[in-house]
Amino acid sequence: MVKFTAEELRRIMDMKHNIRNMSVIAHVDHGKSTLTDSLVAAAGIIAQEVAGDVRMTDTRADEAERGITIKSTGISLYYEMSEKSLKQYKGQRDGNEYLINLIDSPGHVDFSSEVTAALRITDGALVVVDCVEGVCVQTETVLRQALGERIRPVLTVNKMDRCFLELQVDGEEAYQTFQRVIENANVIMATYEDPLLGDVQVYPEKGTVAFSAGLHGWAFTLTNFAKMYASKFGVDESKMMERLWGENFFDPATKKWTTKNTGSATCKRGFVQFCYEPIKQVINTCMNDQKDKLWPMLSKLGIQMKSDEKELMGKPLMKRVMQTWLPAADALLEMMIFHLPSPATAQKYRVENLYEGPLDDQYATAIRNCDPEGPLMLYVSKMIPASDKGRFFAFGRVFAGKVSTGVKVRIMGPNYVPGEKKDLYVKNVQRTVIWMGKRQETVEDVPCGNTVALVGLDQFITKNATLTNEKEVDAHPIRAMKFSVSPVVRVAVQCKVASDLPKLVEGLKRLAKSDPMVVCSIEESGEHIIAGAGELHLEICLKDLQDDFMGGAEIIKSDPVVSFRETVLEKSCRIVMSKSPNKHNRLYMEARPMEEGLAEAIDDGRIGPRDDPKVRSKILAEEFGWDKDLAKKIWCFGPETTGPNMVVDMCKGVQYLNEIKDSVVAGFQWASKEGALCEENMRGICYEVCDVVLHADAIHRGGGQVIPTARRVIYASQLTAKPRLLEPVYMVEIQAPEQALGGIYSVLNQKRGHVFEEMQRPGTPLYNIKAYLPVIESFGFSSTLRAATSGQAFPQCVFDHWDMMMSDPLEAGTQASTLVADIRKRKGLKEQMTPLSEFEDKL
Amino acid sequence: MDFETNYEIEDTADFIHRRNFSRVALQFPDELLKDSMRVVGALRDKLQLLKESGSETQRDGAKEVRLFVMADATYGSCCVDEVGASHSDGECVIHYGHTCLSPSSTLPAFFVLGKASVDASKCAESLSNYASTSGKPVLVLYGLEYAHAISHIQDVVVSVLSSLNASTSTCEYHFADVASRVTDPPKLCENSENLRPDCDCDTSCEGVTSGFTGSIGGLIWSLPKGSKMEDYSLYWIGSENSAFANAVLTFNGCEIVRYDVEQGCLMTDLSLQRKILKRRYYLVEKAKDANIVGILVGTLGVAGYLNMIHQMKDLITAAGKKAYTFVMGRPNPAKLANFPECDVFVYVSCPQTALLDSKEFLAPVITPFEAMLSFSRGREWTGAYVTKFWDLIDSPLPDVRHDPEEARFSLIQGRYVEDFSSKENVEEEEENGRVVALSATMEKALQLRDKSTTMITSNGKGATSGAEYFATRRTYHGLDMYHDSGSTVEPFLIGRSGKASGYEGERNKPDTEAKN
Repeated sequence: MVKFTAEELRRIMDMKHNIRNMSVIAHVDHGKSTLTDSLVAAAGIIAQEVAGDVRMTDTRADEAERGITIKSTGISLYYEMSEKSLKQYKGQRDGNEYLINLIDSPGHVDFSSEVTAALRITDGALVVVDCVEGVCVQTETVLRQALGERIRPVLTVNKMDRCFLELQVDGEEAYQTFQRVIENANVIMATYEDPLLGDVQVYPEKGTVAFSAGLHGWAFTLTNFAKMYASKFGVDESKMMERLWGENFFDPATKKWTTKNTGSATCKRGFVQFCYEPIKQVINTCMNDQKDKLWPMLSKLGIQMKSDEKELMGKPLMKRVMQTWLPAADALLEMMIFHLPSPATAQKYRVENLYEGPLDDQYATAIRNCDPEGPLMLYVSKMIPASDKGRFFAFGRVFAGKVSTGVKVRIMGPNYVPGEKKDLYVKNVQRTVIWMGKRQETVEDVPCGNTVALVGLDQFITKNATLTNEKEVDAHPIRAMKFSVSPVVRVAVQCKVASDLPKLVEGLKRLAKSDPMVVCSIEESGEHIIAGAGELHLEICLKDLQDDFMGGAEIIKSDPVVSFRETVLEKSCRIVMSKSPNKHNRLYMEARPMEEGLAEAIDDGRIGPRDDPKVRSKILAEEFGWDKDLAKKIWCFGPETTGPNMVVDMCKGVQYLNEIKDSVVAGFQWASKEGALCEENMRGICYEVCDVVLHADAIHRGGGQVIPTARRVIYASQLTAKPRLLEPVYMVEIQAPEQALGGIYSVLNQKRGHVFEEMQRPGTPLYNIKAYLPVIESFGFSSTLRAATSGQAFPQCVFDHWDMMMSDPLEAGTQASTLVADIRKRKGLKEQMTPLSEFEDKL
Repeated sequence: MDFETNYEIEDTADFIHRRNFSRVALQFPDELLKDSMRVVGALRDKLQLLKESGSETQRDGAKEVRLFVMADATYGSCCVDEVGASHSDGECVIHYGHTCLSPSSTLPAFFVLGKASVDASKCAESLSNYASTSGKPVLVLYGLEYAHAISHIQDVVVSVLSSLNASTSTCEYHFADVASRVTDPPKLCENSENLRPDCDCDTSCEGVTSGFTGSIGGLIWSLPKGSKMEDYSLYWIGSENSAFANAVLTFNGCEIVRYDVEQGCLMTDLSLQRKILKRRYYLVEKAKDANIVGILVGTLGVAGYLNMIHQMKDLITAAGKKAYTFVMGRPNPAKLANFPECDVFVYVSCPQTALLDSKEFLAPVITPFEAMLSFSRGREWTGAYVTKFWDLIDSPLPDVRHDPEEARFSLIQGRYVEDFSSKENVEEEEENGRVVALSATMEKALQLRDKSTTMITSNGKGATSGAEYFATRRTYHGLDMYHDSGSTVEPFLIGRSGKASGYEGERNKPDTEAKN
């Protein structure tokens, strides 16, 4: 039943112009996986009849059960195009055989990291948009991410069947809806002006937009219809395509094309007249079982039905007819082959985004030319659990050279610095594998431009890595991926049976590998923490951990925990002083909140320890109103030397100050990691060293005296500057019909959320609501919301910002102080905060 | 309680007299120092009496016994301060107060445990109540200051048992014994007691063929053949001190309750103690990421400490890390922060001082057992915990030389990290000797220094030796010898004057600044 063999696939892999690497991206539930099925079916891996029901790429049991995609799954597909259909193709090609490396990605925000990993190794993206729901938040997020990676998009307006069966809208109304969907998508794409990538907007009349019904397995682009009508009207195809979209009207009565609706009853828009109406007619005829009318109609369209198919009734009949008439695979494939770039084309402009090293070295050149003879450059973007428990495939893309079984490769991890030996391994590739649906096929080697899975490297790669040949010691790694979500929700796990601890540790290690986003770590208190992007993400991770990675050993999980940040509201009310243990050294300090936006600028890396001091002081002076000289006196950032807090030297004429700088910095790194309130990280605090008194003998002002003192004085200045807690806040987007709005608002109110945007989707009864919701309140939010709206509202939460909690944590009984007490209790600290007097000394 | 009984003057004098010591060091903890003069006086009188009543032969050789009072022990006051005793050429040490009963290495020691009062009947009542509810046999452990009362408690319990014969027949009690109040250094006593008094089969044990002999903090007990510690519930009599914490950690698989003598009630909530274990586990994980390890010498007396230090050093070097040894008395945050180079410290000392809660320390302080878990690849924490380092001496050094099959996953950083020096330095050292290794390290340090800006900020791996740390992580390297002579000569500044506790012109400074 499988139409192609691994040998065939391997052969086309060498034809770099005939390869398309693409990912399918969309909002949750817009039909990615279902549509992917149609493509897979056409490649002969699953039967045409079940296409749309199997969801080939949802390989996990829980994916099938929940009906959502969780992991991105890659499939290599082989197609042979007819000479006729390729006639119009102007690009380079070698023969008619094509290889499509397709990656189906999840649409739920919690799994955005999977999308990121998928985008990195593809060159094109099929953006799927539900024609009724339109462009949603996740559509936008992933689209932006794709464009950021210089990935060319094509669009398909999906779920066309809803228009015909569910909504029964007339042609003009449908056209308006489609038009709006495309426009909305184009608005996002238009912001990415990129001279190398060219115009990335999509146009139906150019064939970069398809209309599909994934569930029923049919799709068309205007090309299909243009071909049909071109000869009839005696115009060439491209002319016809233009007429089938936009302000082009045809009146069958007068047989004339106009650019305005003439107002006559028979005058209709080209699209409606020639595309929408015929489809509608066929569907209606099928659904009403008017077979006497159907057969002549079909023969006119040139559709041949098999005799057993003629026995079908109603929906199955309609599905079969449509699949035969407008097979989804043909339309989509043609669109992809014609309009998405081959690796050879894409790598020319993507090399700048990909390669960290100089763009004129041999590695950059090899990537640019997609040179199979060049040095190996391979990026592993994710790890896929293999069938034998505990092992992983390293899944990635060959950008240059060839990777083959048995070859020795250099593995450069995310922390690799050229010239150093850290995060670097040299190991053998045991096997190279390609994915064909649910099976894997071992191949001898895989040349550049293709996706590949490697066996035998999993013990050296956590999540991603760059691979080169053993000898290529001067190669720089490929740039690390940037994720659009961050792990803000955490849960502590422990094993039910204490002796299972080694199993848990092993399980956490594997879990960390299997998911691009999840972070497994251990807290000061000795608790094992799993951090994920959202509740659903964590739920899946915990399930994986217990069932797959720990062999079913029981674990106990805590309630979800949110990490907070400590900040200050005002400048310290006085300059505080702390004495060293020997009482001979005194540090004077003040804390103040950073200017708005500065913490974010540090997060984004616009300002950081590695900056050129001149550039830094320019940004600080111009954007944040700093004194130019002061900007040069930043001692350090923290925690972890890059965090959004800093120490600034404000002293004048202090002796030996340079000697204690290191000690103060060490104390600051320590203190900023564990704030005075509840040992959470600090954020947005600027500490100013006002004065320093030091003992004249160097032996009495060593690190031992200064480091603990610096820590204490930092705590004292934090406590005198109105300390506050910052809590993480989600941006929530909800789509729901009007009658559900009341329920949504009441749930949001109850959960401390507030709506900042409410918009009706033009042409639909749906409303789009955007709101801010504290992460801590988001647990159980989806289910509450579903209950309150009888399942009509489905939220998507993305971490948005840190929000200050206005209540004073130092004042007993406030919300913040209870929170602080809770956190301290969880961490096993003394429930009472250490008082200021412990940190501040008097002369 | 009577002073002489409390300080066991008679036994002590007998010990000194019998062994014929002439120079005796009396070691007092800070809280008992106030009684030291009375003890010395009483002891002297007693010795005089003994001397006069002694036999002829003894009288001849007998010299005047000189007593020295030692205070402010260098290390934990629970250990015998042999170094202090040898300052006065002491021949033996009489140790007063709380002790860990760790074996000493050069001098014989006599321990005066002290006698804290305890309400035996109340305690016994609580014990039998607990035993009837726990459903497991109960092992009774106690703080050494209550050792004197244990036999009494035992009697009371037995009498309670016999009175309630029917219902409590299932209850089973085991009482631990105090090991020995006299310890002798290994070389002085081949026949009587050996190096590890708590591990040998005590012949005085009354006929029980012991299947398992347990010991902790000077207590020993033996369990019937075939039973494990996990089969028992532990009942601790005493206060919540380091000895108890030690017991909780060592027997973390057992259910433990504590009878608080002062309040006379049973404490069953020990979640805090459980947390200690978790915290220690975290420290082990953290130590795995360390590059430079400091070995803190926490004792100069406990038998085998030198072997342990050497063993630690070998272990650390074999793991590809750098070890430095520090002798600094009792560690505190200020002392240790003088060595920010060290990522972790291993504290080699007696079990009861080794468990240092290093929350206030810049770098964590771990025990030798934890170090063994951290620095030998492939060893995993199974829940067992050993606090006595002398139990570790014989444990084989794991083979870490083999090429690591898998990169190490660091739970602290949540990703794979590699101990790159384990591949490099060890091999180099083996092949070419230390000089080459040193020069290689230095070369690296020098090379990195050029890019010092990037080094400081790369938050991945830290420095791997003190020299490298100095070159790459410190911004101040002492006085700059090669000062740029081209720059203009700066006028000298008048420094501060006055006392360090408050320089001239400083006292009112904060006020004036606050006004500004």
